[in-house]
Amino acid sequence: MKGSLSNRIRILRFLHGEMSQAELGQRIGVTRQTIAAIEAGKYSPSLEAAFRIAHVFNVPLEEVFQWDADAPGPASAK
Amino acid sequence: MTATTVTFGPYFAVVASGVLPREALPNVRQLGLFAVVAVAQGIIQGIGYLYFSRVSPQEVRTPPDERDRAIMRRSISVAYYVLIAGMIEVGVIMPFTSSGWTIINAALFTIVAAEIVRCGVIVVSYRRQAS
Repeated sequence: MKGSLSNRIRILRFLHGEMSQAELGQRIGVTRQTIAAIEAGKYSPSLEAAFRIAHVFNVPLEEVFQWDADAPGPASAK
Repeated sequence: MTATTVTFGPYFAVVASGVLPREALPNVRQLGLFAVVAVAQGIIQGIGYLYFSRVSPQEVRTPPDERDRAIMRRSISVAYYVLIAGMIEVGVIMPFTSSGWTIINAALFTIVAAEIVRCGVIVVSYRRQAS
């Protein structure tokens, strides 16, 4: 299936005073490893977690996550 | 997974080699071997827990998040098929051809195989998602 999810979490963390993955994880209730997996595009977060991340950065959801319908599907992101 | 492999691996090797005499149920020697293996597995798991509690106490205390739960669900659903296939073999087919400890060991093997598959899926999932 085509389409892939990308994100700007790394950039947004940088723009928010180089917020650490651990801090972001703590604020949305997941582990640092999960943030790392989301950032790397290896794990697609739940809708709730996605909204929580956007809320932490105070931006709309589409500024954090982007959907590219024409990109080849992810190999392992679940 | 290590605890299960290093305890039940030798157990099934001993059972398959036919070293133990084929006595009627309850077959105390067989039962004794199983008890030793079960206790050894518990001890290894306990040591493992204590070791990781010391090495990375934060990770041991951290409750599972949504990714952990998703991986757990996936591993259980894969292991379920192994378990159900084994149980069909043990409960439906084997009673016509075998009896006693052969059936019990086949059931144990199925459970152990399902557990190893479950742990294997967890390990592979975390490795795939590690950055």
